Amino acid sequence: MNIVAIRAVILVAILALWEIAARVGNPLIYVPPSAALPALGELLRLRSYPDLPEHLALTAQEIVVAYGLAVAGGLGVGFALGLHRVLGRAYGPILAALYAVPSVVWYPSLMLFFGLDAASKIAFGFLLGFFPVTLAVLAGIRQVNTHLVTVARSFGASSTTVFTKVMVPGMLFTLMGGLRTGLALAVIGVIVGEILGSKSGMGSLINHAYGLFRTADYVALVIVTLVLIVASDAVASLVERRARRWTA
Amino acid sequence: MSGPPARPVSAVELIRIEGVSKRYETASGAVDAIRDVSLAVRPGEFCTIIGPSGCGKSTLLSMVGGLVSPDTGRVLIETRPVTGPDPKRVATVFQDPGLFPWRTAVENVEFGLEVQGVGGKRRRAVATELLGPLGLRRFAEKYPRELSGGMRQRVAIGRALAVDAQILLMDEPFGALDEQTRVLMGEWLLDIWRRTRRTVIFVTHSLHEALALSSRVVVMTARPGRIKSVIELPQGYPRLMESAELVTLRAKLWSEIRDESLRAMGES
Ligand SMILES: Nc1ncnc2c1ncn2[C@@H]1O[C@H](COP(=O)(O)OP(=O)(O)OP(=O)(O)O)[C@@H](O)[C@H]1O
Ligand SMILES: [Mg+2]
Repeated sequence: MNIVAIRAVILVAILALWEIAARVGNPLIYVPPSAALPALGELLRLRSYPDLPEHLALTAQEIVVAYGLAVAGGLGVGFALGLHRVLGRAYGPILAALYAVPSVVWYPSLMLFFGLDAASKIAFGFLLGFFPVTLAVLAGIRQVNTHLVTVARSFGASSTTVFTKVMVPGMLFTLMGGLRTGLALAVIGVIVGEILGSKSGMGSLINHAYGLFRTADYVALVIVTLVLIVASDAVASLVERRARRWTA
Repeated sequence: MSGPPARPVSAVELIRIEGVSKRYETASGAVDAIRDVSLAVRPGEFCTIIGPSGCGKSTLLSMVGGLVSPDTGRVLIETRPVTGPDPKRVATVFQDPGLFPWRTAVENVEFGLEVQGVGGKRRRAVATELLGPLGLRRFAEKYPRELSGGMRQRVAIGRALAVDAQILLMDEPFGALDEQTRVLMGEWLLDIWRRTRRTVIFVTHSLHEALALSSRVVVMTARPGRIKSVIELPQGYPRLMESAELVTLRAKLWSEIRDESLRAMGES
């Protein structure tokens, strides 16, 4: 049996179990597939939530901006701390301590600072995505083979050349892992931010359906959001695999 | 600065090592790697350094290559003190080949030229031409992890030869090769050396290699490394190992090294 067939069997089995469980229990709470799929159809035909495209676009935009900032900030801070000894000694431990704090504790203050609109979601997505990128840069720099740096220098490589031709390829493997984790967390940050309080975006729709006890719509919205997340991770994993094949 | 009193540098010296010493500070205490080594290398010479493990041969080579600065003394190349790597004049084959794992064999050979800004086509042509005699023609597109230890070392040799520097520092370049390949590679290197009139400083543990290739053999003492003796070899090639002269030289070289190796072993 090939993998697609195995996956299909598992999927069908799960849906069947889900259906049975929901019918035995309360179909309103345990929304069965027979109710969720029509709701999904309604959603995609823009009947239940006609403004779905705008919300979806807004969430996607927030994710792109939050992740972009997380990557820029993470690379900047990571290289500054990793390449500059004094900075690294001074701020490295602070960074590690901050990372240990559950990020959700910052969210109320982010809402106070940035309001209920996109800015606070972007800030939260950035906050979550920033740490894995920074830490991956730091780990990657430690991983670079110093002998290769010596070899490059002996052939006349400048600091810049050492950076681009030895450090970056040497750490790419680790860096890619961090960039991918950063994306996943930035996505989570944005969506959790929306759910915790917002007027638009996928999280706000989920909140709305949930608040009105429109559970079938709620499940449909969650499925659409999941597709968004899985799609972004698929892109990331594709990029990662190409980079790994190059450096392995 | 300690070391011998300064002599005027004569035109027949390309490299002049003046009373260099190096001590490494490590967590488990200081290590005197080499102490007060002086040596002059003539242009076009094939100078071999031989000595027990840990006596500072690699350290000495790194000083000539500008990668390690001596605590005392200095190294001069054409009367100018070495302060850092000088890739236009010095190319190194390292003991650990140090290939870039994300580059294919041919891309590794091209590295030095790439750093110097040589165009893609030119450097590919130079590198490809070198791969043939190195026995790597069919492995040009392979990554280091796909090559055997000996092949990796040959790629490292190609990388050093590609930049066409006058001085070639070779730190046990054939160490990972089997005996037969070693002899063939030695013959090939000898040919390159004689055709291109390079100056070679060569580190080896092999008496045979030292006798077959060198114009001069420098024997170093056990750590801290000093120069124990310098043995001049006859000029002609190929060296006939069975000739009376070489048999005598071999015995002499062996007795010099034997004592130091015993000392080095007794110490560790
Ligand atoms: N970067 C370093 N830090 C600390 N100690 C070092 C360093 N490099 C070399 N040493 C020490 O200096 C001594 C000389 O080392 P070196 O590598 O120059 O010896 P070698 O003659 O090349 O040995 P081998 O024949 O085994 O290659 C050794 O005792 C080694 O442990
Ligand atoms: Mg060595």
